[in-house]
Amino acid sequence: MAAHALRRPAGRSRGHPFKRIASSDNFAGWAFVMPAVILIAIFALIPIGWSLLLSLQANNLIAPGHYVGLANYRALFKDHQFRSAIGRTVLYTAIFVPVSVGGALAVAVALNRKIRGIRFYRLAVFVPLVTSTVATGIIFLWLLDPTFGLFNYLLSLVGLPQQQFLQDPNQALYCIIAMTTWGWIGFDVIIYLAALQGIPADLLEAAEMDGASRLSTFRSVVVPLLGPATLFLVVWSTINALQLFDEIYVTTRGGPLGSTTMIVYYLYEQAFQFFNGGYGAAIAYVLFVAILLVTIVQLWIGRRRVYYSS
Amino acid sequence: MKRLVLFLTAGALALAGCGGSSNSNSTSSSGSGTAGGGNVDITLWEGYTETEASAINKLASEFNATHKGITVHVQFYGNNDYALQKVLAAIAGGKPPDISYLYGSWAPNIVANPGIVQLNSLIAQDPSFNWNDFWAAGRRVATVNGKIIGVPALIDNLALVYNKKLFAAAGIAAPTANWTWSEFESAAVKLTNTAHKQFGWAYVNDASEDTVWRYWAMLWQAGGAILTPDGKHAAFNSPAGVKALTLLQTLAQHKSIYLDNGSGNYLGLFTSGHIGMLWTGPWDLANITASKVPYGVQILPGDINHQTISGPDNWVVFNNGSARTKAAWEFLKWLTSPAVDLKWATMTGDLPTRESVTKLPAYKQFVSKYPGVDVWVRNLGNATQSRPVSVLYPKISAVVGEAIQSVLLGRAQPQQALSQAEQQVNGILAAP
Amino acid sequence: MATPSLGAVSERFPPLPDSRSRRRLRLPFSPWHLFLAPLAAIMLVPLVWMAILSLESEPQARSFPPVLIPSSLHFENYLTTWNSAPFGHFFLNSALYSLATVAGNLVFCSLAAYAFARIRFFGREVLFVILLATLMVPFQVLLIPTFLIVKKLGMVDSIGGLIVPNLCSAFGIFMLRQFFRTLPIELEEAARIDGTSRLGILWKIVLPLSMPALATLAIIQFMWSWNDFLWPLIIINTSTHAPLQLGLSTLQGAHGTQWNLLMAGTLMSQVPMLAAFLFAQRWFIRSIAFTGIK
Repeated sequence: MAAHALRRPAGRSRGHPFKRIASSDNFAGWAFVMPAVILIAIFALIPIGWSLLLSLQANNLIAPGHYVGLANYRALFKDHQFRSAIGRTVLYTAIFVPVSVGGALAVAVALNRKIRGIRFYRLAVFVPLVTSTVATGIIFLWLLDPTFGLFNYLLSLVGLPQQQFLQDPNQALYCIIAMTTWGWIGFDVIIYLAALQGIPADLLEAAEMDGASRLSTFRSVVVPLLGPATLFLVVWSTINALQLFDEIYVTTRGGPLGSTTMIVYYLYEQAFQFFNGGYGAAIAYVLFVAILLVTIVQLWIGRRRVYYSS
Repeated sequence: MKRLVLFLTAGALALAGCGGSSNSNSTSSSGSGTAGGGNVDITLWEGYTETEASAINKLASEFNATHKGITVHVQFYGNNDYALQKVLAAIAGGKPPDISYLYGSWAPNIVANPGIVQLNSLIAQDPSFNWNDFWAAGRRVATVNGKIIGVPALIDNLALVYNKKLFAAAGIAAPTANWTWSEFESAAVKLTNTAHKQFGWAYVNDASEDTVWRYWAMLWQAGGAILTPDGKHAAFNSPAGVKALTLLQTLAQHKSIYLDNGSGNYLGLFTSGHIGMLWTGPWDLANITASKVPYGVQILPGDINHQTISGPDNWVVFNNGSARTKAAWEFLKWLTSPAVDLKWATMTGDLPTRESVTKLPAYKQFVSKYPGVDVWVRNLGNATQSRPVSVLYPKISAVVGEAIQSVLLGRAQPQQALSQAEQQVNGILAAP
Repeated sequence: MATPSLGAVSERFPPLPDSRSRRRLRLPFSPWHLFLAPLAAIMLVPLVWMAILSLESEPQARSFPPVLIPSSLHFENYLTTWNSAPFGHFFLNSALYSLATVAGNLVFCSLAAYAFARIRFFGREVLFVILLATLMVPFQVLLIPTFLIVKKLGMVDSIGGLIVPNLCSAFGIFMLRQFFRTLPIELEEAARIDGTSRLGILWKIVLPLSMPALATLAIIQFMWSWNDFLWPLIIINTSTHAPLQLGLSTLQGAHGTQWNLLMAGTLMSQVPMLAAFLFAQRWFIRSIAFTGIK
């Protein structure tokens, strides 16, 4: 028991020993998390367990299913379409996360000042976030329409060739990236805005007095202090990007020619169009394990490189 | 610590309050079906909007007023695929509604549910119901391996709608009932004016069933078939199939087809004069009429025949006890009776589900209210084939949908696309 | 030298030496506007488009490409939309749903996040990952079992059924944990030495310093509940129990959407969101108490 109290995790400042014994820490810790744990256990963990059972069944969700062991998983291994979906999802995530988080940082810095109309600008950035996915899909389908859309019209004004956008298997995924970045960047921005508020004024003062330039202060003081927020946004964006569904559903429906079929859309097709509920659950589980591993790696990297001011 | 306990207690009380107060509101609509002497409450789930929504509510009130002992509660369950998720959740939870509107394509899967009421005996007991009065296409989709699992709720088909003004401007004679594919093709090309962003035809190209079912109509018109008679192999990779797909390819190469991505923008384009011809159903009629575009309706152009395709949907009855099943059947009988069906058609513009409705005196009012709708009704006689009623059909459709899409996007040749699709479909059909 | 002020970071950077500033272009407004104005325009495109569509007649609203300059403005669309369905109920249900889930998340996530950030207890890291894992399974797979649980609890077709499963999300716990860890621990340790209970520290020290994070969580949770469609669809049967997005979907048919009414309804439903955001912006400013550190 005493050993707990003496061990110090990396990153914490030294020289502040706990005076209480560890057992009251255990009690306090668990008491604080208990309401959350109960709610999440009932409404999230149990359903996740239920779907694990479903993934071991052949079940069309209409008639009672029967257990088939790991047959669904074995079929997944041989499924070419599933493999393609994985590739596309990874590609999407690899581009979306840096672009949206990096872009959000730039926008948040721009919004974090007292110029006239800043409240209006902040509101404007927030608007795509509250716009329903359906409305977003309809607007982008119009903007990107090859014949009547605004984008091709603008391209024609500057003499560039017309594009097929969402009807071109080679372009559709990138259009989706643009659309989701537009729709989600406001989310990252407000997180960064809140984090920027937490940067102590005196630290920046000290840097100025040392003669640092604006840019290097930003790089060496602000960015590291935003580390916790950045870690959060990278983890959260990755978790969401790997589960992208809604925007695909309201625009391309996985097409054209399957070029925007991401993992969750493939799951949806299997479960609700082909009535393969068990197979869909198996897909969800493989995805879940993958996301879990990626997140653990990200958190571990974050542990070593993110600076918490405490 | 004391405060923590206070927090939790307050929270728990709030939760209990929430659950309790609103539960009392829900019992009235969930239906309890008392046996013997009391009123039977049944719920009906539908995804109607606009005129259909007001029509179902109006008719339900009328029924409730005239039929003491049964109260029908109409509930909206979302539309399209979302509805399926809600229905599946309800089935899993053991609390399905009494009647639900279900898409015809779900029928082969729905039949697997032991909670569905098979209507064969109920229909046999009641000769006045006259099952054979329903259009054949509707009856075919409601029947799975001889089991009747639903009553036709909607019947439709594809016909040709054209813009008279654009035809006149291009100097083309209006389509006749004997129009051939080549006449259709040349009209579409003549109506195309890329500089003015004008298209001759529109085709839904999202690789969904909407993409596929139009092609089936063309396949049948050329004398082809989807599957072999025993249902074990694909039959669409035939000269007929290739001919049909080649027609699509030719028109796409001429840029005569507006490729709709599933959002339904083709309708707005037609009503604003950008598209010359549509293959569509009565669901678009109300908007076309309201837009004041000068339109005409004709049966589809043909090759060997002028077959069309129909997409019926069903009212399905769930077994929630004999009292409620009986009440549900009473309501369905009333709702689909010729007189009430005509009322529905007149209110909504949907086609009558029964043949005898066309003989009723008030039928003329229906026809004059929706100019052109009689073409669709007559066209039902051309809906002589249906899609395979099989749980594997959605997968087959997905494969063929991609084949058609690849040809329309200019990424594959018809023969090559069909051969590949045939191979995949045979694999699907052969799987245990 | 610029005076230190709360909030804005770069605004406080010292002006450049004179020789460079003379060569720079003097604008009557801050150069940041050159970046922010186009950005705002891009972000506002859908709102403008929706507003235009909501004021058009039905045939014009349905036409494609969209009519951007309507021939006449139909303000009555808003009244028609309001009367087409029990919108009063929809707004009330959404308000209840959103406020309750915001309150729940603020309370439960703060408690848990504080423990994860500051209390070293047995199994902390593993528990955190387990809770985080609940964000990693797509909802399509979870909606049926969640429905079954809610049904067991007797909350189908009630607002309780909407609220209770969403009272606490691992998202809030994760986000607040990150924020709490950026606070200087000296304050809290000083309080502990003084004998303040952990709950007291949370309430008196940590939370007041975390206003921006709490406001952010509140806004995000409010938005999620306000815009929620799929879960209400599964749970709610009676139209008067439906929240907004579900109610709006009655305007959206499989074969024919009343675009002008749908856009009017959508805009009406978004106004409270935007108002809530404007309101919450006050809390984005760091609390004044923080300057007492030194």
